[in-house]
This record gives sequence, C-alpha cells and structure tokens, in this order.
Amino acid sequence: MSGTVVGAGINRVDGPRKVAGAAPYPSDFNVHHQVHAALVGSTVAAGRVVRIDTAAAEAAPGVIRVLTHLNMPRLERGPMTALGASPPPPMQDDLIRHYGQHLALVVAESPEQAAAAARLVAVEYERTEPLLDVLDPKAPQVIDPWGTDSDRGDTEAALASAEVKVTQTYTTPDNTNSPLGLFATLAIWDRDRLTVHDTTQWPSMVKETLAAVFEVPESSVRVLVPYVGGAFGAGLRAWQHVILTVAAARLIGRPVKLVLTRPQMFSCVGHRPDTVQQVSLAANRSGELTAIDHRTVSSLAMEDDDYEAVSAGSAFAYRCRNVVTRDVQARLNRPAPCSMRAPAEGQGNFALESAMDELAYALAMDPLQLRLRNDTDVDPRSGLPWSSKALRECYQVGAERFGWSSRDPEPGSMRDGDWLIGYGMAGCSYPWYSVPCSARATVSRDGSALVLSAVTDIGTGTYTVMTQVSAEHLGLPLGLVRFDLGDSDMPAAPQAGGSGLTGSLGNAVVDACGRLVRRFAELAAEDGESPLHGVPPEAVTAGGGRVHVKGESSRGESYIDILSRNGLPELSADGSSTPASPEDLGMAPSGAFGAKFVEVRVDRDLGLVRIARVVSAIDGGRILNEKTGRSQIIGATIGGIGQALFEDTVTDPGTGRIANGTFGDYLIPVNADIPDLDVVFVGEPDRFSPIGTKGIGEIGLVGIAAAVANAVRHATGRRVRSLPITIDDLL
Amino acid sequence: MRADISRGTTVPEVFETVTELTVNGRPSVLSLDTRVTLLDALRDHLGLVGTKKGCDQGACGACTVHVNGKRVLSCLTLAAQCEGRAVTTIEGVARAGAPHPVQEAFVARDGFQCGFCTPGQIMSAIALIDEERAGTDDEIREFMSGNLCRCGAYPNMVAAIREVVSEGNGNAVI
Ligand code: FES
Ligand code: FES
Repeated sequence: MSGTVVGAGINRVDGPRKVAGAAPYPSDFNVHHQVHAALVGSTVAAGRVVRIDTAAAEAAPGVIRVLTHLNMPRLERGPMTALGASPPPPMQDDLIRHYGQHLALVVAESPEQAAAAARLVAVEYERTEPLLDVLDPKAPQVIDPWGTDSDRGDTEAALASAEVKVTQTYTTPDNTNSPLGLFATLAIWDRDRLTVHDTTQWPSMVKETLAAVFEVPESSVRVLVPYVGGAFGAGLRAWQHVILTVAAARLIGRPVKLVLTRPQMFSCVGHRPDTVQQVSLAANRSGELTAIDHRTVSSLAMEDDDYEAVSAGSAFAYRCRNVVTRDVQARLNRPAPCSMRAPAEGQGNFALESAMDELAYALAMDPLQLRLRNDTDVDPRSGLPWSSKALRECYQVGAERFGWSSRDPEPGSMRDGDWLIGYGMAGCSYPWYSVPCSARATVSRDGSALVLSAVTDIGTGTYTVMTQVSAEHLGLPLGLVRFDLGDSDMPAAPQAGGSGLTGSLGNAVVDACGRLVRRFAELAAEDGESPLHGVPPEAVTAGGGRVHVKGESSRGESYIDILSRNGLPELSADGSSTPASPEDLGMAPSGAFGAKFVEVRVDRDLGLVRIARVVSAIDGGRILNEKTGRSQIIGATIGGIGQALFEDTVTDPGTGRIANGTFGDYLIPVNADIPDLDVVFVGEPDRFSPIGTKGIGEIGLVGIAAAVANAVRHATGRRVRSLPITIDDLL
Repeated sequence: MRADISRGTTVPEVFETVTELTVNGRPSVLSLDTRVTLLDALRDHLGLVGTKKGCDQGACGACTVHVNGKRVLSCLTLAAQCEGRAVTTIEGVARAGAPHPVQEAFVARDGFQCGFCTPGQIMSAIALIDEERAGTDDEIREFMSGNLCRCGAYPNMVAAIREVVSEGNGNAVI
C-alpha cells in the first residue's frame, strides 16, 4: 500500500457530474404516472382546527385527493433513532402545535394544479394563546434532557471567593439550515414494495422508519439519495412531509412527488434552536480558571425531541477544577428544531468564548495567553489523556499566520481611515462521535473494484475520500475504484452528521477491503498454480492491482488472474466498524479542535461590519483529502459568519408566524460578504480511530461567532452578547 | 377566540398555450399551462433537470440560465415569454463533449460541495466573464452575489473564475 492516494487533494470524483448538471438530486427524479402534492400549513401557532373545507380544492382542475386529519389513516409514530424520537405522525388530530403545521395535502395531476388547489383549502381555527418565548415561565421545561449536565468540585464556593469574575448572559436566535436544495420526496408503491427518493442524510433510518410506520418488512423499502443538495442536519429525520407523501401514494395507488417550497423549508424541516445562556467564569490573578458555570435554556417543540446539549462542551474545554453545566429545554408552539451544522457547540461556544474574552479584559491579559494558560492535555471529566489534541499548536500556528502579535490590545486603537479594525480569536472543539457502520468491497474479473455503503455525501466529499481509502487498501489506482452510496439496499450505515461519518465509514471500508484482500490471499494460498501457494494470508498485502507477499512485491499475482483461474466473476467481502470503548483504550476519544482568528472592520459612523480576514487552524486528525477537507472548513466558516452577522429566523411574537421565511428575508452570506479564508491543518492522526481521522464537518463553524464578537469588541469597545451582531448594535 | 381564515373559494380557470422554445439550440413545441415558468418547463416538460429550483422566488440564483446570451432567473420568467428566444442551460454549455473552461475550473478549484447551486453559479460565471465583470476579485464577488451557496464554496468559485479569466479562455466556447 503506497499511502500516497489518501491525503492527496484530488478533485472530487463526482465533480464532473455536478458541474454538468448531471448529478440527480431527489427533486430531479420523475416516474411515469406520477402525481404531485402540495401542502397546506397552519397560519396560527396554537389551537384547534374547527372546520376544514376542502370542497373547492377537490373540485379544482386536476385534483385527485385532499388529505386532512379527517381522512388521514391513523399511523404509529416511527421508532426511536440513534438521535432520539421520530417526529410525531402527521395529521392525526385537530390540535395545532405550531405555525406551518401540515393541515392538508393536496394531490393533483400537475404541480401547478396542486399548488393552486392548496390555496382553496379553507380552515377555520379556534386559537389559543401560543407559548413562543424560550423564557416564558408557562412553557413546560425538560431538565437535563440527555443526562449531560455536569458538576465538578465546588463551583459556588469558587465563584464566591474568586479574585476575578465575569458573569454575563448571552443569547443566540433561531437559525435555519436552509440548504439550497428544496427537500423532495417521491414515493412509489409497487404492491407492498416501496421505493422512495428522499432528501435525507440517513437512508437506513428512513427505511426503518417507513417500514415501521407503514407496517411492511424493511426489506420491502428502498430509499435512494445519490445526491442530497445540502441539508446541514435538516436531513437527519424522517419528517412528517415524507410520511404524508408515502401515505398519499399508497392511498391513491400512484407515485406521489412532493417538493417543499422555500417558506416550508423554514417551518417543516427543523432549525437551530434559540438559546439564552448564563456564563460565570472565575480566575485567579494569573489567569488560571477556578470556576466555570454555564447554564442554558433552549427552545423545543411541543411534541418532539432534539438532541442539543448546549452547555456540555464547557465541561471539557479548559483545565478547571470547579465546573457546573446545566441544560434545559422549553417546549413552545414553534416548529421543531433539529441539528444544524455544529449543533449545540455552535451556540454554547459563542457564550463560553465570549465570556473568556471578557475575562481576558478583566484580567488585562492577552486573550490568546488566557486560552494557552488553561489548555488541558487530559479530558477533565475523566482524567484520561486525549487520544489526540493539538489545540496548543492550533493557537500557535494560527496566531503566527494571522499576525496576532501585532494586535494593539487597546480597543479602537487600530484604524484604517473610517474603518475601525478589530482582532478577535476563539478556541473551539467539536466532540467525538462514532457509531457502527458497514460496507462491502468487491473486485471483479476486469480488475476494477466497487465499494458500497448506505451512506450519503452531503457535499463533504464522501464519494471522493472513500474512493481514495478503498484504492489505497485494495492496492488499485483511483481510476479502477468506484465508491457508491445513497441507497438503503447497500450495507447499513449511520447518518452523515455529527462529524462522525468519515471515521465510522472509513474504518468499515478499511475492514471490508482488508477482508477482501485476505479472501484473495486465501484462494491463492490453496491454489497449487499460484505464486502465493502456501503463503499464510497474513503475510500478504495488496498493491499495483495485485496481492503479493509483504515486502516482496514480485511474489504475487493479480486479482484478475486469481479470479479467472478460479472461474469467479468477482469476489466480495463485508466489513464493519464498531467504536472501541474509551475505558478499554485508556484514553479519551478526541473530536476536532481549532483556533479561529478574525479581523473585522467596522465603519465608525455607519456601524457596518465587514469580515476582512479569517485564519482557521484545525486539528482534524488525519485529513483524507486536503482539497475537500479545506473546503469543509471554508464552508463552515462561512456558516459561522452567517451566524455571527446575518442569520436570525424571526418568530412574530403575537402570532408565532415565521416572519422572514424566504431567501429574500432570511439573510445568509453572499459571495461579496466573504474574503479569502485561510485554513491550516495541524496535528497528527488520531490514536483512537484506526483510520486516524476526526470529523471536520462542524469544527469550521464553531468559534467563528465568538471570534467575530470579540473582534467587534476590540474594534469598537462594544461587547455584543446577542447574535447576530447587526448595525443597530453598533450605532 | 375564533378566526375564519378564508382562502379563495372559486375554482380558477386554466389556460393552455402552445409555446415554441429553443433550448440549447434544439427547438421544441410545448403545450403548457400559462402559469408554467421557464424553470418548470425546462425541468418538468423538457427533462432538463440540470437547472435547479432553490426558492422559486427569484432570491437564490440556482435557476440561472441564459436567454439570448443574458443571465436570467428562470423561476421568474414565464415559459411563454421565451418564445422565439434562445435559451441556454447548463446542459448546453459544453461543446463537442468537452466541458466549458468554467466547468473545468470549478472542478479543479473545488468550487462547490453539495453541487446544488453549481449549475446556476456556472451559468452566472460564464455570463459574468462575457459581461467583462470579472476584472478583479472584488468585482467577481460582487457580480456573483446573486447566486447563493449555502455550502460556502464562494472563495473557491472566485479562484475558479479568476483562473479562467487569467487564462483568457472564458469565451472560448460559448
Ligand atoms: S429558484 Fe430562481 S432564484 Fe431561486
Ligand atoms: S455547493 Fe451546496 S449550495 Fe453551493
């Protein structure tokens, strides 16, 4: 195995299809005889449907069926998933739990007919007062929802006796994932067999959910998603619109296609929940942290779950003896939140790293020095050494590239004409996550390989990096290897999410390839005509399209020769990965770490904020592809800039309506908002995972909002504790 | 409290119109509901699904195509308006099987991730070079700002466009 294929910044293998417009996304699929669905959503946030009149819609041209809670079949809720409960089944009763809740599904011959008829559905409501504010004392609370709250030492005493202390409240708003691809579902029943094209990050989960809800065997359900079109967490659930589409297709006996509208993307497929966070930090005069107290309240739907441990990261961010973290969720009449790129850390880190900056000011200490002084080589929760951690190097290399040492600590002191210049920084991490995964590798008689797993490539580069890993471990050139995904009939796999897939999948692919090489070696060992006759399989490796004796590449033979002599069209092997237990390995599994350095420019008179430069120094373990890895960090950095300066899903306080659910109103960064972004990878392959990677899908976002806020403080002297930072905060 | 949120109650009449469209040099005659946009005509009636729908509201640029050589948001354009005009989509920018230089540069510079915005970005980039609005990086950024990319591939797209411009072959094949 040469080892040169992995790590190289090769172009995406799916690139030519994407730039040609030839990569099919769920909304691109059509089948003969299909009909089209359109949704009718609630225009109120709480109450009851008193009357729903579908007569006009039913009489409209092309309309085939209108489903409401009155005629919708009763369905069971889907099973639990690795990320929590399934969404509740749709349109089962007359209760309204949030604005935009599905009240009717109109099915017609054409999309225009369905959309026009949906406007004819008349709903009479009985309204009740909606609970909309995360701090509303009437909102039912879920305390410590995931058992992640932590208590270490005596935080109360440490805060009471602190030499220097900071206590502040930070808030973050709802953000909406807003992938460019509108979520689409095309459901095709063939008697009891179901095929679904669906925008999901997790085909295996959608398959299991649909099988359970529609009471058919899992083997009868196939979920296809070769290309996703973005999702950023919104594709981690079998949403209600998916269930509705599948139900309608079964009732009508024709394939049904539903494509959500952009406004529906704001109310039907999740969002990053808003938070109110109180952080207290205490330190002695030399800058050693003596207490961290981080308490958060975030919003949750009335009848749904969301895994979002906002404060949990503060329990292991720094060396500190006295730590309290507390998470509470408040149930509200708002659409269900879900993971959005860097869930929990995205919000929690903003509060913690803003507070660290405030502490640095209180100590009159350089913010970078404060982080370095409190860095920890062990996981403070368990005392175990991290399986890899190059955060110190992130700080040093990042500061060097950025030119942090030229920062004048005095706020407002650095200027360029009317522009106030600010330098800000933040440290960050994203916790380790890994789940079992499986894959299958096959080499055919023509010498090419196909490796499969039911994962998705949401734009991260899974197609590409897994082709690289497979090529390396099968000893084949890239051009002879295809990695395929996006089909639930392939070996079962977890979600593309939580920065966990590359490790789980990578280890499964390595295992499958290793087993396949061994099968070839075993065949050859038993074969009197093979140069490998009698060679123990463990002494054999792969390279140059052949299996050969380790260290003796001339003694071996090609896959093609072994297959043809044995009269086999192909040979396959299944592989899997299961994460080891931290206790057994005696180390704390590390996620990615990073240091972010940001230069902002703030117009002195107008309060306009521009991002001038960002340096992201990332410890992501082993990077499988320098090019796609860098793109991951750049993309998430831009997401972080959006969180810092633009993104705010506004719920109308009176009605619970989402007031800005379009791309015209919900602002995300555009090209002109973004300068060139510097990314540097540091650190070593991780020791915990055989493949050595640490997920890098989220780490690029974490820390950006705090670094921007800290830079704005440095530029203007103003501390903004509520995201996004807008002009009116600075006037 | 009761509120009657009444929507329309009348059944709209539907008009069909025969439209002759020339897309990527190929003429076709379609009988379409008058409400059908150019975007839906391309995707649903001509099977050209390379052009994407990201909002259907003129706010994201995913549906960008060229009409008579100018970039246009096909979701805001009725198909019937394009009678007698030349429409070019992402499927029509390669020549003789060779990708357009902008397509190649997007691959080489990793100017996309999920790829959903990419056809629209490429159609804008080709037009931008044609419009001679790609003189500086800032100009590229400004005139590419009608095309959203949620994956955040902007700097790589700028690099790709800069590369095509500096090699002077942006207009080579279109
Ligand atoms: S789909 Fe046309 S601008 Fe978004
Ligand atoms: S590449 Fe995904 S939106 Fe641009």
